[in-house]
Amino acid sequence: MKSSIPSQMLASELEEIVGEAHISTKETDKLVYSTDWFWVPQMFLDRGEAITTPDYIVRPGSAEEISRILKLASAYRVPVVPWGGGSGSQGGALPIYGGILLDTKRLDQIIDIDEVSLTVTAQAGINGAQLEWELNEKGLTLPHYPASANCATLGGYLAPRGSGTLSTKYGKAEDLVLGMEVVLPNGDIIRTPPVPQHAAGPDFYRLFLGSEGTFGVITEATMQLDYLPETRLFRAVLFDDLHNAIEAGRLMMTRRLDPTVIRLYDSKSTASRIKRILGHDLDGAYMVLGFDGDPDIAALQEQKAMEICLELNARDLGREPGEAWWEHRYDFYYPPQNLKLPWMYGTTETVATFDKIEKLYYAEKEAVEQQFKEWKVDFIAHFSHWFHWGSMIYSRFIIEEPPEDPREALELHNRVWQAAMTAVLENGGMVNEHHGVGLKLARYMRRQYGDAWPFLESLKRAIDPSGIMNPGKVGFGVG
Amino acid sequence: MKLNNPIDTVENCRYCLMCRHVAPVGHITKDETLTPHGIALTVASQRRGLIQWNRETVAVIYSEPDGGNCRAHCITDQPLPEAIAAVRAELTAQDLAPAIVYRVHEALEKWHTPFGEERLAPATGRAEVALFVGDEAHYLWPSALEGALKLLEAVGLRPTLIGRGRSSGYLASSLGFPETATRQGQELLAELSASGASRLLVLSPGDYFTFNQLYPERLGIALPPEVALNDVASVLAEALADGRLPLRASEEPTPYAYVDPTHAVRVPQRFDAPRALVGAVMPSAPLELFWRRERAHPVGSTALQFTRPELADALTRARLEDAKNRGAELLICEDPGSLYQLKQHAGALSLRVKGLYELLAEHIAC
Ligand SMILES: Cc1cc2nc3c(=O)[nH]c(=O)nc-3n(C[C@H](O)[C@H](O)[C@H](O)COP(=O)(O)OP(=O)(O)OC[C@H]3O[C@@H](n4cnc5c(N)ncnc54)[C@H](O)[C@@H]3O)c2cc1C
Ligand code: SF4
Repeated sequence: MKSSIPSQMLASELEEIVGEAHISTKETDKLVYSTDWFWVPQMFLDRGEAITTPDYIVRPGSAEEISRILKLASAYRVPVVPWGGGSGSQGGALPIYGGILLDTKRLDQIIDIDEVSLTVTAQAGINGAQLEWELNEKGLTLPHYPASANCATLGGYLAPRGSGTLSTKYGKAEDLVLGMEVVLPNGDIIRTPPVPQHAAGPDFYRLFLGSEGTFGVITEATMQLDYLPETRLFRAVLFDDLHNAIEAGRLMMTRRLDPTVIRLYDSKSTASRIKRILGHDLDGAYMVLGFDGDPDIAALQEQKAMEICLELNARDLGREPGEAWWEHRYDFYYPPQNLKLPWMYGTTETVATFDKIEKLYYAEKEAVEQQFKEWKVDFIAHFSHWFHWGSMIYSRFIIEEPPEDPREALELHNRVWQAAMTAVLENGGMVNEHHGVGLKLARYMRRQYGDAWPFLESLKRAIDPSGIMNPGKVGFGVG
Repeated sequence: MKLNNPIDTVENCRYCLMCRHVAPVGHITKDETLTPHGIALTVASQRRGLIQWNRETVAVIYSEPDGGNCRAHCITDQPLPEAIAAVRAELTAQDLAPAIVYRVHEALEKWHTPFGEERLAPATGRAEVALFVGDEAHYLWPSALEGALKLLEAVGLRPTLIGRGRSSGYLASSLGFPETATRQGQELLAELSASGASRLLVLSPGDYFTFNQLYPERLGIALPPEVALNDVASVLAEALADGRLPLRASEEPTPYAYVDPTHAVRVPQRFDAPRALVGAVMPSAPLELFWRRERAHPVGSTALQFTRPELADALTRARLEDAKNRGAELLICEDPGSLYQLKQHAGALSLRVKGLYELLAEHIAC
């Protein structure tokens, strides 16, 4: 076996930085870190085909160590891919050019919980559920509740701009950030002050939200907290048609009834998922409503919301199905209830303003269902994160019998995505609302942003002139 | 009922990350490979020819403690620990397991335990109630048995002892020797049957799990249906609640924590029993650790002390640091194996360790 001198040099220098116990070139580690939650790499492994692995897996223990790693990577011109929990569905953490896989999970400390201002400052590699348990012990909560809290990290919440179950009231992960510490590609460590808001120039820290590791490594964040709510009220209603259901959601949002949750399932989701997980056999559009906080205020908000729903001919299903949904909301993610290989699936989620949302839903549905009829494609959707001006559509396609050959499967997968994204872009939607871009959506970024895209590219060049940070992701370096 | 093809479970777990937050070794190492997902993906990849079994890949399979955290948190009850035990059985059958695994197995075959070098004969006494002693209580923490017997006597139970100094079969099963485990289990069941007991008591959640779940699921053997299985802490807690166990309050002012032992997560119905008991004698309620109850990490009493002692030690130190951070100076636990493991490292953090049964026995009100 030949030894590559630069590769051995780099390994030894990395070891000097993080210590022998925190660098690995083991076969199993390379395999396990070769895939995140993106369907494509999982599919290749499922079909017994090896994929690109990282050359080194390093687990730094501080921002200073990360700074030294990035300086080293710049010197050797080696790619660095930040890794949190590897739960991203977009291929953002894939080491597509090998290089250094930088696992942030050793940065798992809570630095401060400020019980007066209600903030927490924590290192970026902390596990979401563990952070939440710590906060709960003080009666506090970080109101970002993604279904991946058990496995994702704080940095992974922020880097792809995630949304949680309660985002309709509390905002996306990015809306909860007050300040961050980031290691830049040149090794500089920068911090932004954790203040509620300010006007001291551009909000440059926001650049790192959504940069998915292409601009640097987030090492620490100060996040807004809330008290654990005194009450959480859930209720379910059933609409005969989606149009009225969307209108009900729109009225609740534009009248600022402040729902914690509006989750609206289209009729196919209602018939499949709600039936399978909650056991309710219903025909129509199932909507879960949630209100929380002060019991009197929440009850009043719920009452007003119910008035809107009933006026739009909804059937009140009562509390039990709403509460059961809250109780079982993550059951959907446990195998074998979840989507699983060898099936083909993808979450083609999108977001738009209210004036476009219904048309967008039908356009995407039709594009996918019509063009891939022969593959018996299933298109299901729910509307899960609502804003005062619009909503997101969490749409999914599922093909239960895709081609066995991985290359044919990939080709079909990309065609379905192409159809869905074309419909989205032609109907005023965004290519995503919360899963990030990663590798999966990289090829749509130029089209998404048009004339603004070169500006983003020039920012990337300015921040990361050597192009070491997570190359090929978010569309940087992609045609 | 014996599980069919448990290894197939890895097909579910390989891309599932939903129990990562409670995965003990993944937590202390931060190594993605040493999580349920990583181990399952390793096995699934070997089945697909993407990796071969070798020293390095086999070491991954022997890095999981078999403490049950993943399954305890799994909404669809995927038997991943059982799958890993089955993979280990394939490895031992092909002579691919680490050398230490065979050495422990040899001791299990010869002495029924890796902790001592005498083969104790099965008991011959007969009684309504039997108490399984096992090898950890016999060799590692004998005062737990003495304490438990005094307490049981105080509530009117005089059990005959079975399995003195002998492993239940858990260790053999966990290391990948199901035949040995089955043989050991069958011998214990024969001893139980010879005792005429209609009730079997166990000292720890690990033993409860073994008789209640491991035997039928992994080995296809079972306690006779007419024999009731109870753990001593639950029996005592019930007696305490009924006023049948009079205990004196202790004046020990030391801040203390109760440590949920290894396998506690596998028997969630008994989380409160040891807490009620300890609370009955200590002047204050126990400090609660961060890694407690349904998320308690294992500490001793698994095969990991043999296969990856450095990981077992790191897990133990983490529990001790957890206790220290909470302000505890004394740790209380009922499981002999966990107590022994805690004791090995407690001194380094100036912590003391005390067995629950001994503590309670010292405070029986006459
Ligand atoms: C079961 C399941 C349910 C999910 N549910 C949700 C949901 O409800 N809401 C939601 O928003 N998402 C969800 N996701 C998607 C995914 O979990 C989230 O995007 C999550 O926040 C990613 O976190 P992670 O730590 O796993 O990041 P990773 O997957 O490791 O990384 C994601 C991206 O961020 C980059 N990155 C990670 N850490 C850093 C850092 N410290 N600095 C810079 N860049 C970094 C990576 O390079 C990569 O590009 C789900 C995924 C799964 C598997
Ligand atoms: S045991 Fe359950 S939760 Fe854990 S990885 Fe397997 S399927 Fe997921």
